[in-house]
Amino acid sequence: MNTTVIQLDNVTVRFRIPHEKIPTFQEYAIRWLKRRSISYTDFNALNNISFSIKQGETVGIIGANGAGKSTLLKVIARVIRPMQGRVFLKGRVAPLLELGAGFDYEMTGRENIFLNGAVLGFSRRDMANRLERIVEFAGIEEFMDAPIRTYSSGMVARLGFAIATDVQPDVLIIDEILSVGDTDFQKKSAARILHYHKNGSTILVVSHNPDSIRNLCSRAMWLAQGSIKMAGPVDVIMDQYSQDSMS
Amino acid sequence: MVEYDSAKSSPAIIDEFVQLIRYRDLVFLMTGNILKNRYKRSMLGIFWMLLNPLLQTIVLTIAFGTMFKSSLSHYAIYLLSGLLVWNFITQTTQYAMGTMAYGGGLLKKIYVPRATYIVAAVGNGMVNFFISIFSLIIIIIFLDHPLGAAWFFIPISILILTIFTFGFSLLLSTASVFFTDTLDIYQVLIQALFFLTPIMYPLSILSPELSQFLAWNPFLILIEMFRTPIYANHLPDTSLIVNAVSLAFTTLLAGWIAFTSKADQLAYRL
Repeated sequence: MNTTVIQLDNVTVRFRIPHEKIPTFQEYAIRWLKRRSISYTDFNALNNISFSIKQGETVGIIGANGAGKSTLLKVIARVIRPMQGRVFLKGRVAPLLELGAGFDYEMTGRENIFLNGAVLGFSRRDMANRLERIVEFAGIEEFMDAPIRTYSSGMVARLGFAIATDVQPDVLIIDEILSVGDTDFQKKSAARILHYHKNGSTILVVSHNPDSIRNLCSRAMWLAQGSIKMAGPVDVIMDQYSQDSMS
Repeated sequence: MVEYDSAKSSPAIIDEFVQLIRYRDLVFLMTGNILKNRYKRSMLGIFWMLLNPLLQTIVLTIAFGTMFKSSLSHYAIYLLSGLLVWNFITQTTQYAMGTMAYGGGLLKKIYVPRATYIVAAVGNGMVNFFISIFSLIIIIIFLDHPLGAAWFFIPISILILTIFTFGFSLLLSTASVFFTDTLDIYQVLIQALFFLTPIMYPLSILSPELSQFLAWNPFLILIEMFRTPIYANHLPDTSLIVNAVSLAFTTLLAGWIAFTSKADQLAYRL
């Protein structure tokens, strides 16, 4: 139980924001003719972040908008590769960053289960075996063969959640999605996450809701302007955080 | 157990290939979905893909057929076999660039191999190409054009064409992520190039200086390679085949290196 599953060493992610319009050949040609270079501002979304998380831990990430929370999750989910530093990960990651990423709204629920499964890296055969369980959990039996553009937004989110969490992952990355669907489904999804946690999944949560962080997490990390401001036991950090945002 | 280490992973050139194999079901699904979405809503469905080149050929044959009557006997076959190659390359590359520039949002949300889009675009282009070949067959039967042993070369030329188109798509898509007007510039350029490529007319009508200059046109090499067995019933010259093969593999290598070395920047740029 004491193995490190997530480790970040001095991770820096820098976005380059050009001052002028979007980059085109035309722009470059005009600038070149005018002998002017294009100016940029470099913006560090993440600044020298280092931490490690052991198997089975639940860690909450808090911070104001633009503090780098989502970028941090994306670096861990492999969506962006850090410009400096090292990200090390062990095990299969279920990123609940964008539920139903790659959903095609013209396609049926059934087709989208295969499509989204493939986006998550599962084979077609895998998905065929899980089809029934996913449909049942999402509660969309009657709508399986209707295009998902006819679904309500709650149904789409439920389907996305059901696909992404169908098998137990080693690491679960959650970005503000504990509020999927109606109350019944919220209970159901929370129960599933807790069940995976009991069975040893490591969980990383970003949320603006202090209660859900306190309830779910044992540790918390406070991000501010791309750096870790504080990290430690959840109660200590959350107390500081709420004090800080009061004043 | 799966491991990911951002610092230690194998070079991008190899890693992207390994990931594509791992995500092969996604590539197949995406290709299928492009085709499904495109033809689900039109009544004629797949027949559009046949009808479009057929109509194009009929119109152009009526317009220009008499002009080249003496030099090109079955003008419609000459025209269409060139047109199919042209359409395959230009439509696939444009589609690939479009999906990268506009549909690449998925790459910002979740990890998938970045080349998935390009491979799916090429797969989609190939299916369209195969279907439109049927329109060529219809014209061949209609004109009673002779079949020959050289036709066995056609699958090989399609393979070479595909390799070139894949590499070319990779190159152009990489550029289109960094410069958003790449697609616009490309569209203007290929429109001009269409008339500089002997598709509607025989190479022989050009002055020797111009045709020597056009020998460097990569489209000409590929079109000649595909057209010769069909139209003239003999194998293309060995030198032409060598040129086409080296062109295709050089483009693929250049495209793959360019794309994979920039792949990590895509999520930042899109």
